Amino acid sequence: MAWITKNSGGMKIERRESPWVDPEVRSEIEAALSRYPTKRAATMPALHAVQDKHGWIPYQAIEEIAAIVETSPAEVMDTATFYEEYFLQPRGKYTVWVCQSISCEIMDSDGVMHAVEEKLGIGPGETTEDGKFTLMHVECIGACGGAPCGLVNHKLVENLTPGNVGGILDGLE
Amino acid sequence: MPLDQPILFKRIPTPPWGNFADRQFVGYDQFVKTGGYEALDQCVAMTPKDVVDQVKAAELRGRGGAGFPAGMKWSFLPPEDGGRRYLAINADESEPATFKDQILINFDPHSVIEGIAICMHACRLDTAYFYIRGEYHHHREAFQRAIDEAYAQKVFGEGSRLGQINGRWPDLFIHRGAGAYICGEETGLLESLEGKRGWPRIKPPFPAVAGAFGRPTIINNVETLAYVGPIMTHGAEWFKGMGKGRPEGAPPQVPASFGTKLMGISGPVKRPGVYEENLGVTVIDVIDRLGLGPREGVKIKAYFHGGISMGVITQEEAHAGAALDFDIGKKWNNLGLGTACITVIPESFSMVSAARNVARFFSHESCGQCTHCREGTNWLYKMLTRIEAGDGTTRDLDMLLELSSSMGSMPGNNICGLSDGANWAIRTIANKFFHEFEAVVSKPTSVSLAVVG
Ligand SMILES: Cc1cc2nc3c(=O)[nH]c(=O)nc-3n(C[C@H](O)[C@H](O)[C@H](O)COP(=O)(O)O)c2cc1C
Ligand code: SF4
Ligand code: FES
Repeated sequence: MAWITKNSGGMKIERRESPWVDPEVRSEIEAALSRYPTKRAATMPALHAVQDKHGWIPYQAIEEIAAIVETSPAEVMDTATFYEEYFLQPRGKYTVWVCQSISCEIMDSDGVMHAVEEKLGIGPGETTEDGKFTLMHVECIGACGGAPCGLVNHKLVENLTPGNVGGILDGLE
Repeated sequence: MPLDQPILFKRIPTPPWGNFADRQFVGYDQFVKTGGYEALDQCVAMTPKDVVDQVKAAELRGRGGAGFPAGMKWSFLPPEDGGRRYLAINADESEPATFKDQILINFDPHSVIEGIAICMHACRLDTAYFYIRGEYHHHREAFQRAIDEAYAQKVFGEGSRLGQINGRWPDLFIHRGAGAYICGEETGLLESLEGKRGWPRIKPPFPAVAGAFGRPTIINNVETLAYVGPIMTHGAEWFKGMGKGRPEGAPPQVPASFGTKLMGISGPVKRPGVYEENLGVTVIDVIDRLGLGPREGVKIKAYFHGGISMGVITQEEAHAGAALDFDIGKKWNNLGLGTACITVIPESFSMVSAARNVARFFSHESCGQCTHCREGTNWLYKMLTRIEAGDGTTRDLDMLLELSSSMGSMPGNNICGLSDGANWAIRTIANKFFHEFEAVVSKPTSVSLAVVG
């Protein structure tokens, strides 16, 4: 039997010279710090600020945030991994989220998901090779009247059908 | 009797008074022109206690799902001690099939902000956090715009018309969630506000005593707070003239269903959307009159009448008069009114699939700190996937019912209501549509040797 190895044993945190918390992100985090009585409460706004700027949250950024909110990197990591919106790995230019909760499933979100999978050639949780799309399932996004629906990055798309969803993706640069 | 004019949707065009297509952001000026912030100015001239008493007299019950009387919650706060006290506004709105608060946030944010300011005055709260779910991007921007206007108009910030509270100028900030249903649970929300994972806390202590950052905190739903302004303007008796009163002869401590409620309709109906109607309206009336009935060729089988957590009511129960009020749970064997957002389940949709969908949701969203909830929801999901695929046995059905009826904060083995939601949703589906489950499982083919005694 061939051994299938993975290099997790030697996992190293990739580092770069310039901080991920650049001056722009830092000023956002500082604004957040002034809104809460504890520093740690700025953890989520800080994670959002990094992700809004870079698209994802590298481990190095977790350490940088921890230093600013004066807690341990493990605690920032704890928070970051709990929430679904935070990406700890790079993702595509567009993240396509298809709602799979009840109103959407009743209105054929499965058909929509299959159409997207077919079109992009990837499954939920994956990114296309050209780095353009990441596909995700999401639970109810509070737009059930327009079911089935989804998000493309921050934009809501409603009344999807297996027939019209391809055109929406084609329209993205 | 149908509502003759909208209250919460006064400025938000909604059938039968207006069209969805005309809905747009109502800014500060337009809000004030239509009577906005008059209630706030009136309240600031009153003592905080008188404001609390009026909300209490109106018997306004929470619109976030649990129906707890808001005025009573407000009076649980300990006396002021000069330290900070918080308001956390629950705009997490993550219950599947629920999309009502977002309409207020998006189109008439000042109606919510006015309620927030009144609550801060009445309860002596100096800082408010508007906890909005991460996926509401456009809504967050709209609300921030309204907050900026409110600061410019001295509702908050230095020189606020509320004056100083606990020695501070009052503030209202947005806290952006990041995709976790459990942060809608009030103590999960507080943990998240503090920058931690959203693990609900064991109560007591209740948030009114030790909430955000260990300080007294009030948590209310968006729609609940939006009702505070109208109640202060028109009075408690006006509010109690709407909705559904107490049953004939019931003593005053029996909670009633006064007022109107935002109601969402989703699924295969002709006009899905969010409407406003008196509490006590029947499900059939909401679907037929407001939603314009099912789409062509659709036969309705059942409804999730208040988000998935409340469970289902059947079309027969709806025809027998099931009405959207706080007693719907007791009368029609479900967990309660919930969010009053209805999803229509058509005949063509299998109830086994519905159960599998909700089991997946709860297993995915369980925060994982209680064993019964973490393991139970996942077990239910696996079992339902198997049953749906045709690989289930009758024994699975027994296990399904046993599991779903034994977990929850009410049976006492879990910390929060998420597990009760899973329990009620799956149990009511399985009980009310048992024949659909029976039809897809295989019956035992060999005699089993039961050990008796
Ligand atoms: C699992 C769970 C999720 C909840 N989600 C929400 C929510 O998204 N929005 C909300 O207003 N209340 C939600 N609630 C209810 C809150 O815990 C709380 O009762 C409510 O915000 C209080 O406000 P109200 O009294 O004004 O209704 C949830 C409760 C549980 C147990
Ligand atoms: S019941 Fe479930 S969601 Fe609630 S605290 Fe326990 S594990 Fe978390
Ligand atoms: S169920 Fe899909 S948006 Fe609500």
